[in-house]
Amino acid sequence: MLNSFLNFLGTLGTRFIEFIAKIGHFFIFFSGAIYWILKPPWYIKKIFQQIIDIGYFSLPVVGLTTFFSGMVLALQTYNGFTEFNSETTVARVVLTSITRELGPVLTGLMVAGRIGAKMAAEIATMRVTEQIDALGTLGTRPMQYLIAPKIIASLVCVPLLVLVGNTIGILGGYTIAIYKLSFNPSLYLYATIEYLQLIDIIQGVVKAAIFGLIISMVSCYFGYNATKGAEGVGFATTSSVVVSSVMILTSTYIITALFFG
Amino acid sequence: MKKELDKNIVIKVTDLSKSFNNNVILKNINFELLEGESLAIIGASGSGKSVLLKNIIGLLKPDKGSIKINNIEMVNLSRNLKEKILLDLGITFQHGALFDSLRNWENIIFKTVNKEKINNKQGKKLAFSIIKQLGLHPSILELYPSEISGGMQKRVAIARAICGNPKILLFDEPTSGLDPVTGSLIDKLIKTAVKTVGGSAITITHDMASVCRIADKVILIDNQTISWSGTPKEMFQTANTKIQEFIKPINSEILFK
Repeated sequence: MLNSFLNFLGTLGTRFIEFIAKIGHFFIFFSGAIYWILKPPWYIKKIFQQIIDIGYFSLPVVGLTTFFSGMVLALQTYNGFTEFNSETTVARVVLTSITRELGPVLTGLMVAGRIGAKMAAEIATMRVTEQIDALGTLGTRPMQYLIAPKIIASLVCVPLLVLVGNTIGILGGYTIAIYKLSFNPSLYLYATIEYLQLIDIIQGVVKAAIFGLIISMVSCYFGYNATKGAEGVGFATTSSVVVSSVMILTSTYIITALFFG
Repeated sequence: MKKELDKNIVIKVTDLSKSFNNNVILKNINFELLEGESLAIIGASGSGKSVLLKNIIGLLKPDKGSIKINNIEMVNLSRNLKEKILLDLGITFQHGALFDSLRNWENIIFKTVNKEKINNKQGKKLAFSIIKQLGLHPSILELYPSEISGGMQKRVAIARAICGNPKILLFDEPTSGLDPVTGSLIDKLIKTAVKTVGGSAITITHDMASVCRIADKVILIDNQTISWSGTPKEMFQTANTKIQEFIKPINSEILFK
């Protein structure tokens, strides 16, 4: 009985130490990546390719998600607020929810699913097929050539995607408000503009930049440290999406608390 | 006299040991590669040949021992200096390790582009001149590695290694998966690269016909250590049972002709 308990404690301790070691390992990777982001030369062509991939090709999925979210939000808000005869607050709720929370979070989750998974799978495949080893022997730093362009592009693109996503989300709310709920278009637009605050936009953009950093850093980390062939690539891909998503949802609370807490 | 001899040693491995999680892979490995020499490393699968190569190029750090390339100690050398030394080496990996996202010509000139600024036109011309020697059709230059066969990928990887005429060549199973004709072509190329450029080569291989064609010296890794070394001709005279197992299916007279 005592032996079983001691074994349990031993296993628990080992797992805890492994967890701490992994966090330490991640922060070493993180600081290395930051160093290579700041250190020239920058691979401009690779950064541009990543910007196209992350920014341009994510537009449809981000646009679609935020548009429908805006529509749902307008509909639900209207249904909830009709009981209190407060239909006019729909524009304000849609605007605030989209710019402060839904826009950045949904965009972050979509980018984590689409781009994070792609980054992790690409780098993990390069790792298990010795391409990263080969890079090192050909006078190129893998961190500078592979990782830094992805992080720089994510930092640039996710905030831009959020701005576009916010606009489309508000447009979704407007569409439902005007064409289904028969709101006055001028009044709805006036209410939207009246309640639009710079701090909400800034908060959304700050969140987006942090989400961009989280997605690219986590995905590159899991990809870069992949092992065990195809199974390792799968593990890296799944882990990157799960960890990025959890970190996005956790950090959005922390950032909101810092801005409005 | 001794100093003169030292000058000719291109790679010197002394007492190298490597283990993974208490599993000893290599123990007290000692060998030298001389200038203009072609060395073949043979051994069963999993005997640690590729691990030895990865230690030499700095991808793995030995538990103990010394690795000198051109008299420069590689173990614990700063990354910048190690990279400079590696730029003068031509290396092929077991599975090619070509970059999927780059076209074949970009793969071939990757290192040269890092060393000296050349434009696309010059790069393609350089890649073309190399693949001609390897019996590849120029049309593959514009394709991606995934669009050509495994044998072709192997040859593109060799083209990448020999681009820029490096003085030291390290090949990890360059002829595995190739047909005998192409394998023989690769062997000739390695031989030519060593003789004409005055370079040195280490080739890891299971292909004993290839060993007889390219090697001046052979070492056998067995039971974590070098259990035999000699010339290809001596392989057919030795009483070493492991070597005999390797050469059993081979007719030496045909090979050495």
